[in-house]
Amino acid sequence: MFDDPDALTGSDRTHYATCAECQARYAGMAEDARSAATLLAAPELKLDIASAFKRVQAAPAAKPRFGFSFPILRPASRPMFAGLAAAVVLAALVVTAFANVLPLFQPKTVATVPVTVADIQSLSALSDYGTVTWSQQPNPQIVLSAADAEKIAGFKAPVAKYLPKGTSSTITYGAMAKAVAVFTFDAAKAQSAAAKSGKALPKLPAGMDGAKLTVTAGPAIIEIYGNLNLGSEGSSNANSNGSSQNINLPELVIAESVAPLVTSTQVTAKQLEDYVLSMPGISKELAAAVRAIGDPSGTLLIPVPIQYATSTPVTIQGSHGVALGDNTGLGSAVIWIKGNVFAVAGPQKQSEVIKVASNLK
Amino acid sequence: MGLNLEAAAEGPKRLVKTREEAFEALFKTEYARVAGIANRVLADPHEAEDVAQEVFINFHRLHSATAQFAPAWLHRAAAHAALNRIRGRRRREKRDMAQAPDEGSRTMDPQQMLEVSEDRRMVRAALARMAPKPAAVLVLRASGLSYSEVAQALGVGTGQIGTLLRRAEATLRKEVTRGTSI
Repeated sequence: MFDDPDALTGSDRTHYATCAECQARYAGMAEDARSAATLLAAPELKLDIASAFKRVQAAPAAKPRFGFSFPILRPASRPMFAGLAAAVVLAALVVTAFANVLPLFQPKTVATVPVTVADIQSLSALSDYGTVTWSQQPNPQIVLSAADAEKIAGFKAPVAKYLPKGTSSTITYGAMAKAVAVFTFDAAKAQSAAAKSGKALPKLPAGMDGAKLTVTAGPAIIEIYGNLNLGSEGSSNANSNGSSQNINLPELVIAESVAPLVTSTQVTAKQLEDYVLSMPGISKELAAAVRAIGDPSGTLLIPVPIQYATSTPVTIQGSHGVALGDNTGLGSAVIWIKGNVFAVAGPQKQSEVIKVASNLK
Repeated sequence: MGLNLEAAAEGPKRLVKTREEAFEALFKTEYARVAGIANRVLADPHEAEDVAQEVFINFHRLHSATAQFAPAWLHRAAAHAALNRIRGRRRREKRDMAQAPDEGSRTMDPQQMLEVSEDRRMVRAALARMAPKPAAVLVLRASGLSYSEVAQALGVGTGQIGTLLRRAEATLRKEVTRGTSI
């Protein structure tokens, strides 16, 4: 009413004209509003927008990056992470191959597959076997609140009812809407990749060329505990070397994602299974490990580099999950599926991470 | 096929260019407003520009300038970043005063104590004591944002803004009075 006197309807206006209480209340509010306007007066700003833009452009952090900057990763760990990401895509491929219901696969539980660094490196050449295109680009974003993250993901952000002692109360929320990747198998590409590695490509099943595998990932929410920007706060000269050394490692990471959904065209599950496992670049050990899981239809395979971590089966909130412990003792993680895929990770003892996971609401 | 390859090679370059162009356009449209919001909190044009630039740098690092939520994100981040600064400033002042009260009064020019800046400091201290949401509502509205823009920036319904604003105005007044009577 103070800001927009026209907002008052006819009947309200009549009531206001005769009601002393409303008039008094309005007088008080108007006084508060006038006083706030006076109190919040600020010195005039004289802006030079062009030079301000130049300064922003010159800042090292202003260089565009692809979506998340993944503050949790040190530069040295990025190739490793890229390799793991490729391995996850291939794991999805393998899992699809096992799925008996051809066009649809959504994991209900998790299992780990031990992989070696060599496996991971060879898997990153996935593009040698076909084309990966995004029909919906992954667009992970850092947002300001849990509510914003929930808006993007479309489900409630997980709440940790137990936190290890000393965990920061600063939470950075990240969210990603659904992303859809389409991998189209290309026989010619696979042939030349096999020729390059000096290995013969197994005979292509009919319909394999041009077969499409659609992987839908997310939506997802990630919660990162800890003040990640502390190192670069409040100093314009501290960033002079433009490095990411002043990034703090998170104290705890909690993530929830809708389980990935995989669909395929043209080929049967059995064909895909046999073919994918016989592709050059997949070690016999990896293929054997995948086969050993038994009936993994509905199982999300998590590649675990054998040199880096050990894994143990655990039960989290009544669901089967796996706990990954870093051999160095510096960190651990637990992953389980209860409708959605959940993960809790941090530089903590495994028992602490499991306690956080068990108390996640 | 040849055409596709060319398009594929041109694609990323064009994408980078349009991303930069979009960011520049967003900067030109929103900079004055973002700096204005920060200035409303800090009452210090230089520091306000620092905050505004920091907000744009963070935005560019994390989001696409074509995102629908871009202006709302920037407005909210400007308010919160500036409010965080005055909170930090207040903590520092408190600490400095506690550590060296004598030195504080020695170095202070008595003339300065009578200046208008003292009022501003009081208001900023009051803002710093307020809860983040009411403080942000006040600052965003005082910076000329409409009810709907304030609502978008804070992720609340437009219908709540009137009530939030009235309560925040009353709180600010009380806080300033409390500050002057201490």
